[in-house]
Amino acid sequence: MKRLTVTDISKSYRLTDRTVAALAGVSLTVEPEEFFILLGPSGCGKSTLLNSIAGLELPDSGEIRLDSKVLFSAAERRVLSPRERNIAMVFQSYALYPHMTVAQNIAFPLKIRRIDKVEIRRRVEAGATMLQIGNVLAAKPAELSGGQRQRVAIARALVREPELFLLDEPLSNLDAQLRSVTRNHLKVLQNRLGITTVYVTHDQVEAMTLGDRIAVMRNGKIEQIGTPDELCQQPVNAFVASFIGTPPMNLLPVTAEIDDRSARLHVADRVVTCSSGNVRPLGTQGSRRGYLGIRPEHLHLCTADYPDSLAATVTGYERIGRETIVFATWEGNVITLIADATTHPSVGEKIYISFSAESLFCFIDDAISPE
Amino acid sequence: MFVLSTAGERRLQRLLYAAGFCGALFFLLAPVIFMLLTALSQRPDFLGNNYVMTTRHFREILTTPSLHFVRYCINSLAISIASAGITTIIASGGAYVATRFPFKGRTAVLLMILSLSMFPQICIAGYLYRIIAAAGMVNTWLGLILPYIAWIMPLTFWILISYFSQIPQELDRAAFIDGCSPLRTLVTIVFPLAAPGLFSTLLLAFIFTFNEFMFALILTNDHAARTVPVGIALFQGLHGELPWGVIMAASVITTLPVILMALLFQRHIMQGLTRGAIKG
Repeated sequence: MKRLTVTDISKSYRLTDRTVAALAGVSLTVEPEEFFILLGPSGCGKSTLLNSIAGLELPDSGEIRLDSKVLFSAAERRVLSPRERNIAMVFQSYALYPHMTVAQNIAFPLKIRRIDKVEIRRRVEAGATMLQIGNVLAAKPAELSGGQRQRVAIARALVREPELFLLDEPLSNLDAQLRSVTRNHLKVLQNRLGITTVYVTHDQVEAMTLGDRIAVMRNGKIEQIGTPDELCQQPVNAFVASFIGTPPMNLLPVTAEIDDRSARLHVADRVVTCSSGNVRPLGTQGSRRGYLGIRPEHLHLCTADYPDSLAATVTGYERIGRETIVFATWEGNVITLIADATTHPSVGEKIYISFSAESLFCFIDDAISPE
Repeated sequence: MFVLSTAGERRLQRLLYAAGFCGALFFLLAPVIFMLLTALSQRPDFLGNNYVMTTRHFREILTTPSLHFVRYCINSLAISIASAGITTIIASGGAYVATRFPFKGRTAVLLMILSLSMFPQICIAGYLYRIIAAAGMVNTWLGLILPYIAWIMPLTFWILISYFSQIPQELDRAAFIDGCSPLRTLVTIVFPLAAPGLFSTLLLAFIFTFNEFMFALILTNDHAARTVPVGIALFQGLHGELPWGVIMAASVITTLPVILMALLFQRHIMQGLTRGAIKG
């Protein structure tokens, strides 16, 4: 299987009054057989990057390689058209050809490649069996359900045995239940076929469950690349921290005094201390403004006499079955925490919250406004 | 506040609707009826109390060689089909590029093409004659086909743009990924999906050119290339009188196919016209 190498890719769009950088020097490597996720809010450049890999868009600079094959190189002034790349792609809208049957849709890329008819039929049947759409081969896409269309699109992409498999938010048009089933299916399938895969999504749950590694993107740049665990436990900045995890990490404005060993965070009338290993960026020193970050699952309800507990007021809650998400305010800051399902808070009630210093982060970045 | 109308009022309402409808219908159909009656009359100059029906004029027009009516029909069909066909092919290529590949000044080009369709035909009539004459194509099929292509191009182009822009671009992208060249994408993906649009465009272009009068009048001299509308207008009797029966019979024969086509494909035609009107 192939290794995808993206080096310093940039792309900007000229609007009438200004130039917008969709990608600003993006580099990443996708290992052979890896399931790689591009994650970010809409407009972060993840789809532009995917389209550049596919050959549907032309970057301004940089290089894209599949093993030693150069797909795009601004320096060498070389670019391969999509059909010279042997890359398969699944689109958000599925993009099935409405005037062809399911079988014709799946066979289309093979037909274009002039593959022998018997072989085409064999591969279409194999693909249809693999994705459990053997019973709808004669139907037109309009007659299919969303989930079936999705599987036809995947079958069409996979029958040609591509060197690279790209997916652009393929699950976002499915309802919640089907999405989780298909997610599972996709993961198993990718694992079995071992095709190097790049998957674009704005849904961090999808990213965390599917990805071997994830690249979190914002404003055309990669903020962090890592395994789901790394992103969760060692976020490099407040953006990654607040983008990964539901509900998102709590961020409270603080002034921090940081030395080699620890950071003292002044928040309202309190001072809390965290290890300097949890300060981002690492190695920051001195007195700085920033944010204290703590995940909702690391906050706990406690009694009033618990040492250093925060007295907060409940403003709302969501009961989601196995747990209850509690929203509260403390000294003008909104705090979210996860309590167990037996908790029945009432709005306006006073609650006491405890936490341990190990789970605290300190993000030094004046520019960030947490959402 | 609503006042519910009584049963009597509602009956009156329906009556007025019906009366209005019949009036409008009569107004629109009267010329057609007049045409039919004249064509079928024994004495077309004196439509009156002692009306006698005959098919004489129809037989006359189809069998009298000196009238050249059959030849006019052949000219008209050949010229219209060729113009409509060629225009649709060229316009579909242009519309594909205009909807798929953004280029600098795209809007300006599109608006310029649109503005060309606003040009009054008479403005260019004189010069068009000089060009066609200089090319030695007066009174030939080609001498009409070429101006017709230019004349209906803006319309067909705009209608096709609105059809093409409704085909999702992700299909094109999927086709590229699946290994198609742009041309192959146009032929295997866009054309089949735009088939109803192509068909209605073809139909409209045909009807427009089939009915065209002025260019045909200027650019033809005789039956070698003269089309039906001009032919009918220039019918003359032996002694310079207007042979109304023959004229009307010819009109009926040429109107019927167009009316039938319009009725048969009215949905396509309406769609084509309104799409062209609204833009895509």
